[in-house]
Amino acid sequence: MSSALQTVDHSALKVNQTGIIVTVLVAVIGSAFFTPLIWLIPLLAIVLLLGTFVPQLALFKQLYFQVLKPRGIVKPRPVQDRPEPHNFAQGLGGVFLAVASVLLLPFEIAGLALALLVAVLAFVNLAFGYCLGCQIYFQLGKRGLIRA
Amino acid sequence: MNPQLWAVAVAGVVVLAAAVLELIRSTRARRAALICEGAPSTEPYILYFTGDGCTVCRTHQEPALAKLSGVRIDKVDAIAQRDLAESFHVYTLPTTVVMCTNGKALYVNYGYASARKLEGQLADARSGLGATATA
Repeated sequence: MSSALQTVDHSALKVNQTGIIVTVLVAVIGSAFFTPLIWLIPLLAIVLLLGTFVPQLALFKQLYFQVLKPRGIVKPRPVQDRPEPHNFAQGLGGVFLAVASVLLLPFEIAGLALALLVAVLAFVNLAFGYCLGCQIYFQLGKRGLIRA
Repeated sequence: MNPQLWAVAVAGVVVLAAAVLELIRSTRARRAALICEGAPSTEPYILYFTGDGCTVCRTHQEPALAKLSGVRIDKVDAIAQRDLAESFHVYTLPTTVVMCTNGKALYVNYGYASARKLEGQLADARSGLGATATA
């Protein structure tokens, strides 16, 4: 098992989690009043999946690195850590939101509920530092299912 | 009721069910872990389970442990020492176990435990509570 540590700016992760929570809440609550806001869910899925494979396209992280950090709005918090579990968690969030987007057509309630669960997990990570996606990454790595 | 409210209700039920299941699991694990024994010591000590990928261990738990002065802390890599970790039902990192002088576990904390909490538990262990708590 590789355990090479790099420096990961945890403020970027927190901004990313905040972005996910806010977007899902706006989509779910806002769609009750203005239906097209529901499209924020598939849009967020695309943003998360793109950001997982092309870090330059990670919208919320770029917002942090290009705007919030240079202007001193959010202070950096570099931590010796591995970026892979966090990327995996983000990708998993993207996959679940993609599934939620598909479910929105035939089963709107199930799609919205799944999107809300992604937001709840992002909140748990933001508030308590527990990353379920990272946990799944390590468990899969321990079982040899992925190269962790 | 509109779909948004139904979705909130469904997500709420799922989260609640997960929380209840986790509570049951951790309570059972805590009870089972209290039966475990370690090496006897002249002073109560802490078994600190951690791992490479545990961020909270580095950012929160280790600074909290550093505040405890004069306390023996045995750092255990939960991945490398899997048998020991499993004997204390450690499936969450960090986990801290307050051990009594007789080598029995008095408290098991799954997840982050503050310095204040650990100090209280160590005080219980010093006062001899462990002799009756795990008897």
